[in-house]
Amino acid sequence: MNQTEREQNSPPVEANRERSTPAYPLNCIYFYLTEGCNLCCRHCWIQPKFQNGERVFPSLEVDLFKSIIAQAKPLGLGSVKLTGGEPLLHPQIADLLDHIREENLRLTIETNGVLCTPALARQIASCVNPFVSVSIDGADGETHDWVRGVAGSFGQAMDGARNLVGAGIHPQIIMTIMRRNSDQIEDVVRLAEGLQANSVKFNIVQPTARGEKMHEAGDTLTIEELIEIGRWVESELAAKTHLRLHYSHPSAFRPMSKMFGERGDGCGVCGILGILGVLGNGSYALCGIGETVPELVFGHAAEDRLADIWEDSSVLKELREGLPHRIEGICSDCVMRGICLGSCVAQNYYSTRNLWAGYWFCEAAKKKGLFPSTRLEGGRRINRKEARLSL
Amino acid sequence: MIDKPVANPLIVLREEFDDWAILFDPDTGNAFGLNPTGVFVWKLLDGGHSLDDISTKLRESAEAVPEEVKDHLREFVQDLEKQGLVGFEAAL
Repeated sequence: MNQTEREQNSPPVEANRERSTPAYPLNCIYFYLTEGCNLCCRHCWIQPKFQNGERVFPSLEVDLFKSIIAQAKPLGLGSVKLTGGEPLLHPQIADLLDHIREENLRLTIETNGVLCTPALARQIASCVNPFVSVSIDGADGETHDWVRGVAGSFGQAMDGARNLVGAGIHPQIIMTIMRRNSDQIEDVVRLAEGLQANSVKFNIVQPTARGEKMHEAGDTLTIEELIEIGRWVESELAAKTHLRLHYSHPSAFRPMSKMFGERGDGCGVCGILGILGVLGNGSYALCGIGETVPELVFGHAAEDRLADIWEDSSVLKELREGLPHRIEGICSDCVMRGICLGSCVAQNYYSTRNLWAGYWFCEAAKKKGLFPSTRLEGGRRINRKEARLSL
Repeated sequence: MIDKPVANPLIVLREEFDDWAILFDPDTGNAFGLNPTGVFVWKLLDGGHSLDDISTKLRESAEAVPEEVKDHLREFVQDLEKQGLVGFEAAL
């Protein structure tokens, strides 16, 4: 029956450097491989430089990449995510993929698909359990290209997705929803079905970097709209497609059945305590947020031992000691905080310069009286009384 | 024989719109997802029902209840016990 699933974030094993298992395994490294990007997306939270062929921006050196992986494996590394900028823009992407395959690391790639040739798709497919997501932000070229800032990118992204399918990889399609494309959600699902994708993920524009400008300009959706679309996607649209749909609202807004039911996709335990970011210039950072928030950069791969960064970074140590009990705002009153961990510490810090700030989406929902009452601790007194009476 | 589980009275059951529910432990902050069958069973963990009783009620109330339902129930209750969500009362 499997009626219960533990949602609480598993406590770390006891800290002891002499043990072979690190106190906090470094499960995954997010490699932000390139400082440039071949697209110029309106909502990008990284804000890379636009690389249109005339100028080439730095990207992570292959030797440094290999050195980081060699140092990370004893710390627990089992997977890598290649993202950007645009990971397939890396001039030695083939070498990096070869190395990932040789090291038997599980591979995740987030790409805009434009540069995904059949040969590259086959090489990706040769890696261990590759998971690839391709961004498609509209059901037509006009919309997608408007979001992505480069004419013709829709057709190229579609070709890239088809090349992946041809190589045996059924990609996840990621659509970031905003005012301009919110009426195309179902059409994008149909498009994904036609592409033989395996799932569609709907991202919400984060108020970071270019995304922040979109929020300020009113190009994003209101909290009421975001919550209603989430309900519609999970309760209605999901029933009309064989594809898995994932709407990226915080776990407080996700029905239990969508996390644990037969077609559930897990409780979404935030991986922040097992992740490290590596930027295109070789810096270690909390994640890609290091591109815009210097204090979340912890060191450099050419100068610092990864183990020192991972074990001694004051920010990482603070997070390990403080999550989830130090989270503030609405998150401190949310029963999901143990798995959600504030949804996105990087975003929260960007907005407030406070690692423990509540997540903007949940704070906005609370202000509008739209935060789900069953997910608030504050209601427990009434419920506790009811529970006692029923026993 | 100890086979009549009783729910920890401090644990809060939060039922939601889709018939799933959250078990919330206010003391630890831990939360657990419960599917509709789990909710049905949870409400019978009152110290007055044995696993046999609960199996019978499940068969009366649900379709396609598997043969091994009692094993599932035992496993479920053991999981709850490990998490401190239920205890047992001795049957006389």
